[in-house]
Amino acid sequence: MAAAELSVKLQSSSGSKVKDFLNANLVNILAAVLFLLLAFFLLFPIVMVLLKSLRGAEGFTLQYYKAFFSKQYYFQSLYNTLLLGAINTVVCLVIGFCLAYMTTRGPWILRKPLKLISLIPLIAPPYLFALSLIIMFGRNGLITKMFDLHWQLYGFSGVVISQTLAFIPLAFMMIESTLMSLNPNLEESAYDMGASEATILRTITIPLLAPGLLKAGLLIFVMTIAEFGNAAILGGRTPFLAPDTYTMITGESDFNMGSVLSVILIAPCILIFFIHNYLLEGKKFTTIGGKPVASEPRKITPLIKVPFMIITTVAAGAIFICFAIVFIASFYKILGVTHNITLANYLDFTSNQSIYNSIRVSFVAALIGAVIGVLLAYVIVRGKFFGRTFIEMASLSGFALPGTVLGIGYLLAFSAPPLKLTGGIMILALNCVFRFLAVGVEAGISKLHQIHIEIEEASADLGASFLTTFYRIVLPIMFPAFIAGFLYTFMTAIVSLSAVVFLVSPGFDLAAVKIFDAAVYGEIGIASATTMKLVLIVMICMMILNFISKKTRLGSSMAPTKPT
Amino acid sequence: MKRKFIAVIAAAILSVVFAGSAMAQEINAYMGTSPDNNAKIAKFIKDKTGITVNQTFQSCGEIEAKMKAEAPNFSADMVIGACSPQGFLAKKSGWTVPYVSPAWKGVPEVFMDPKGDFYHIATFSFVLVGNKDRLAKAGYKMPESWKDLLDPKWKGEIVMPSPLSSGTANMMRFTFLALYGDAEGWKYLEALDKNIHHYSRSGNAPTDLVGRGEFMLGITSDENVKKRLNDGYPLLWSIPAEGTGYDGTTSFIFKTTKKLETCKKIIDLLGTQEFSDMMAAIGYVTPRPAMNALYGKTLPKFVNLDLGKASDDKAKNNDIWKQKLRTDFK
Repeated sequence: MAAAELSVKLQSSSGSKVKDFLNANLVNILAAVLFLLLAFFLLFPIVMVLLKSLRGAEGFTLQYYKAFFSKQYYFQSLYNTLLLGAINTVVCLVIGFCLAYMTTRGPWILRKPLKLISLIPLIAPPYLFALSLIIMFGRNGLITKMFDLHWQLYGFSGVVISQTLAFIPLAFMMIESTLMSLNPNLEESAYDMGASEATILRTITIPLLAPGLLKAGLLIFVMTIAEFGNAAILGGRTPFLAPDTYTMITGESDFNMGSVLSVILIAPCILIFFIHNYLLEGKKFTTIGGKPVASEPRKITPLIKVPFMIITTVAAGAIFICFAIVFIASFYKILGVTHNITLANYLDFTSNQSIYNSIRVSFVAALIGAVIGVLLAYVIVRGKFFGRTFIEMASLSGFALPGTVLGIGYLLAFSAPPLKLTGGIMILALNCVFRFLAVGVEAGISKLHQIHIEIEEASADLGASFLTTFYRIVLPIMFPAFIAGFLYTFMTAIVSLSAVVFLVSPGFDLAAVKIFDAAVYGEIGIASATTMKLVLIVMICMMILNFISKKTRLGSSMAPTKPT
Repeated sequence: MKRKFIAVIAAAILSVVFAGSAMAQEINAYMGTSPDNNAKIAKFIKDKTGITVNQTFQSCGEIEAKMKAEAPNFSADMVIGACSPQGFLAKKSGWTVPYVSPAWKGVPEVFMDPKGDFYHIATFSFVLVGNKDRLAKAGYKMPESWKDLLDPKWKGEIVMPSPLSSGTANMMRFTFLALYGDAEGWKYLEALDKNIHHYSRSGNAPTDLVGRGEFMLGITSDENVKKRLNDGYPLLWSIPAEGTGYDGTTSFIFKTTKKLETCKKIIDLLGTQEFSDMMAAIGYVTPRPAMNALYGKTLPKFVNLDLGKASDDKAKNNDIWKQKLRTDFK
């Protein structure tokens, strides 16, 4: 350290005060710029939503909130949303746990295929499941017709099923990573001492997993209540907050009431985000500090094995069937109604146009998002300034924010001059950038944690200026993080629906919005084909990402990385 | 001396600017029909008058939001083809220029504001559609009266759009309220609700849903019916004996325009037989009688409507609707 100070002194004595100032403060300047960007594109829109919900024709008013809480209709919408969140969270956790248990403790032969199937939904947009349910159980559905079924798909049950299927991989991934880092010795010694499988599960595995389970549960809850597509496509006559917000804005043009619905939706999300952060306190990015170990398969007693196998098989089977059915349906005009195999759905001009638009928007978003993400990560890890925690919290909060809220926020904040962005591609891209910033930032942070600051200090000691150090040392190290951030943002942006559905201008359709429209209109073939194209794009991204992470040992940003 | 000189220069510049704009014959308009139809209308205006319409395409709701945000300094000269609530709003707020166009003489008065503050360059309506195959299989006939839809045999087999998200459905609602009166009208809607499977987001969706056989009957916008018939969907369509409703495709001139004469020329053109012929060929019901793509020569029977009242009551009716009809819990 003394040497570093000496070199700073030497430099300052050698002149060029500007350069000196830059060297000393570049991190802070960078932080200030990034802070302004976050404030402008993330906080400002949210504040606008809050203000709109409180401002009537004659200034400040609580009348809209009064309307919300005094009308049965809105209350039921809230009740449905929370109930959906609760059911979904519990079911996802149970299934996720069974799957994760089988892939980490079960027989070798099952591990790979199970893991693969449970991760399938990751490459699919969440509304794929709504689509496949319509194909099978809709009024023209295959199974409906085959068995003359009278089950009402459109409603609460339909939404619960599609949402659950969509969020299983998230539960699985989070629980699996905690299970992997759980040292199997503890369980094994209990087993050796004669404890039954059930006792081990009850007294060792689950208690040790508790923080991880809680974390996963909170995240799933937040993402479920904010999810827009499934509820909008399958909701039928059952109201949910996210699609109601959409109707309120696009149908009734009531921005005040739409803002109120958003604020109500955001409240549990913010609450949970803080609990989540509190839980993470002190052990960032890892729940239990252990090295991931693959444990030997154990003899699982039938008492545990049978129910676990049933749940696992049903869940994995359902996911696989849903996926396959959409793939098959993409080759028919309407599967089950028309019987000619056709490629027309893939060649459909407007849907290809929308894919092209989506790629353009996502590319711009990914580029900006990766740059800002990496810089933010650098500032968060290396910076020592007031408000660092705040910047970190803000940049990671995008996940917990319902897309509908940022959609309305952007509409309110950027639709009038001098900040007019609506109607263009930039508003869509920027919205995606700041909603999905967390991925890029986390990838950057985890990468930076692997490099000790000593390398940078050594560079400084040898007389390199900050810029040189940044350019020669930091950037090359961060490059994989940049690529990861880019690809993650790209593939999240390309399937995202809930925010952009507010921001697309007529005549400039995005693929996700096109799928949503087609599904609502019953154009199942087009919707399926467009979904499959998105799946293909995301799959390619995943493959590149996998390749890079293998090359650089970056690991996925979601996976726990050991902090230094 | 110097001041005079400046004034002369200024006047010269101003006159050049004005003359320039008059010669260029260009106006900015907010247009609210579909992108295809906007382009058709703009091209028609260019062909007939040489006036270039710089149009921005927006939905009716967006045009309304934009007007509210910009008032009283609008960045457009006029609105072509928004919906009637925007016309009423603009008139009520004093944003319009009244202009009684001689070219609209002889057009039924439902198509225009009595003071000339706005004109409906066309109207659109709703119709009943049925799936030919499904009806034949069940041995049912197309209903002949709106009241026939209350028959329990249709339970879960009818689909219509939601007035919370669709302007077409709003029109259906105010038509039934006008047809039966407020109290009876709501009773009708509540009884109808028992047979409705669900309310679709878009006003055109029932045409497709019925065409694909997911439902036997649908109440739907007339906009796409012709197109879907041409596509070969097994559709039947009819207008029950009581008639149907309508809503205007509304145009008006902003008070703040600097090109009033040009705008007036356009309003004049929109009242001609030629323009009606063009719009009728798309399928719109037009101010002047024309061969309609969907309805043919004879127009359907229309329920007597007060579009102004419909526009005023919209928010109130949405509220009643939400309380009475939409929620469905188990």
